[in-house]
Amino acid sequence: MWNRIWAVIRREYLERVRTKAFWISTLLVPVLMGGMMIIPALLAARGGGEATVAVLDLTGRYWEPIRTEVEEMLSSDDNFEVRLVDIDPGPDPEGTREETKQRVQGKEFDGMLVLPPGLPDEGQAEYLAPNVAAFRLLMVLERAVNNVQVADRLEGAGLDPDRIDELTRRSDLKTLKLGSKGEETRDQGQAFMLSYMMVLIIYMTVLMYGIYVMRGVLEEKSSHIVEIIISAVRPFELMLGKIIGIGAVGLTQMLLWATLAFALSAPAVLSAVGLADFDLPSIAASTLIAFVIFFVLGFLLYGTLYAGIGAAFDTEQDAQNFQMMITMLLVIPLVLMVQIFNNPNGTLSVALSLFPFFAPILMFLRMTLTQVPPWQVALSMALMVGAIFVMAWLVGKVYRVGILMHGSKPKFKDLARWVREA
Amino acid sequence: MAEAILELDGVTKRYGDHLAVDGVSFDVPEGAVYGLLGPNGAGKSTTIRMIMRIIGMDSGSIELDGAPVDDDRRRLIGYLPEERGLYRKMKVLEHLVYLGTLRGVGPGEAKRRASAWLDKLQLGDWAGHKVEDLSKGMQQKVQFIGTVLHRPRLLILDEPFSGLDPINTRELKDLMLAMSRDGVTVVLSTHVLPQVDELCTHICLINRARKILEGPLETIRADYGGNVWRIHTDLAAEAIGELPGVTATRPLGSELLVELTDDAGPRELMRRLVQRGEVDSFTRFVPDLENIFIRAVEEDKLGVE
Repeated sequence: MWNRIWAVIRREYLERVRTKAFWISTLLVPVLMGGMMIIPALLAARGGGEATVAVLDLTGRYWEPIRTEVEEMLSSDDNFEVRLVDIDPGPDPEGTREETKQRVQGKEFDGMLVLPPGLPDEGQAEYLAPNVAAFRLLMVLERAVNNVQVADRLEGAGLDPDRIDELTRRSDLKTLKLGSKGEETRDQGQAFMLSYMMVLIIYMTVLMYGIYVMRGVLEEKSSHIVEIIISAVRPFELMLGKIIGIGAVGLTQMLLWATLAFALSAPAVLSAVGLADFDLPSIAASTLIAFVIFFVLGFLLYGTLYAGIGAAFDTEQDAQNFQMMITMLLVIPLVLMVQIFNNPNGTLSVALSLFPFFAPILMFLRMTLTQVPPWQVALSMALMVGAIFVMAWLVGKVYRVGILMHGSKPKFKDLARWVREA
Repeated sequence: MAEAILELDGVTKRYGDHLAVDGVSFDVPEGAVYGLLGPNGAGKSTTIRMIMRIIGMDSGSIELDGAPVDDDRRRLIGYLPEERGLYRKMKVLEHLVYLGTLRGVGPGEAKRRASAWLDKLQLGDWAGHKVEDLSKGMQQKVQFIGTVLHRPRLLILDEPFSGLDPINTRELKDLMLAMSRDGVTVVLSTHVLPQVDELCTHICLINRARKILEGPLETIRADYGGNVWRIHTDLAAEAIGELPGVTATRPLGSELLVELTDDAGPRELMRRLVQRGEVDSFTRFVPDLENIFIRAVEEDKLGVE
């Protein structure tokens, strides 16, 4: 029995892994995902090298404090440098303003900062530049101008700016995730992003590879190869071999993704793209193991259902309604994720995450968010294994009858009859 | 008669209220070319699928070489279903190796045999191509190779010639007869009766789920031919009809069919004919299968009612 199943697994695996489509999707997904994560970080981290800004200080008092402020702000950043140039307003400030504008347009400066004489009470500081989207530079200038003006106002009110600064120091919430052994890990939202991403990967891959199973079965039916195959292999063996073979392709793809992610997050690579200080979220080994287990169980469960759909129908169009029903089963837990985020250990959350069809997404999500009692994890896995056996038994019957049926589009009651009669 | 390689006994299959196969029994002697005949929907394919254990039977027994067919014994059979195809995206040689390994041939051996077959059928250059690049005729040859790669002792072909052009039909017939000469037993189902005449040694007629006739083709012909003689002569039909022992005459082209009473011999008739006129030919009448089939079906109907 197993050597026949093995032959089927081998074919399903090799025929898919050899395709261009497999390698393209294997390379494209991490690029897209990485892009989604890294590009915002890149944008935030690199405001773009250096900038020279002309400062036209009409107050006569602000040049020095602003220069100091900017210097302090950028003192720890080697990648970003702002050079400020003091422009003497002279006897004709309007004329000097026009003249400086010309120089900005002549690319001598990247932009000019104008501080009107009435500051901080009257008027508003202006920044003129051909490119006003230099995000990082604007942020630096804005903060510097703001800080200097606040300090000026405080002094005007007879208060010591340094003292005020000290008293109004921001107090951010330090978030610590408490581990099972009482260990504390610093967390600034990466854990949230990461678990969200891993859950999405489980959803995507289970759906994608489940549909591959369905298409594979449909292809065998429509090409009429299936009767030749089941004259040598039992239908159940063929179904099992196909599901396992395609699941192995999925695992291979994930392994390649993991390898790629590991290679790309090596310190050398990160500093090469200017992300030396980028704080990569780390994944606990236990999370990775849970991820693989929930993918495998989820795929076996859904892959079996998709195999049944493929066997029952002649074309993907005919199969659409049933396919939608199965896909809905996978989408519902995604919608329910909000409930889990809000209260990962509530009764409803626990119940939902134990339901075999939701467990691959919801139980895994809970595990990344909170301490799930081991018995709940074990129970959800046991329930899934049970569900896989029940489904394989039911679908096996539908499959046996369905793969030889052509022409009529079966309804649900027909499928039920096949199960009874097979 | 040779030992039976395949024996069916009271095989029955029911779909709901519909009897697809109703108590069919027949024996296929080793070395025979056995024709399973009958109109479309008579139950031939269902019977074959039960032999292959692709579908289960409700009652009866099927024995291959004296024991029920199981997963291992099924490998003694090479089966070409009526609805047949290949994985379009697979390469020809790999596809054949796959079909071979499914039936227990080692990969190396399967590869050797498949290459030899491809060369033999002038498909050697296509071994590395994808199936979808092959013409339909070439694909049918590949299917045949897949059917015989594991060297079956029994070949079961379900409507093997449907959809084949005359040249491919001829080639497949030759391949089949060559296998038969090598000692492989062949069971082939068809609804095209003239094909049977040139191929089959034995036949089984199935109509409306039931077997109505079975046996060696020669015996059946003789049985259905009866005491009828085919004569070419210048004598008038009326004159012959008046001879003793003759019960009826009817024309068949330029010849006459003369039916005798059971106890009358051809020798007596011939002597009388020669006395009266010229006789160019005098042979036993051999009915064609279509006639036999129609008569068998009619007799079967009478028997049922």
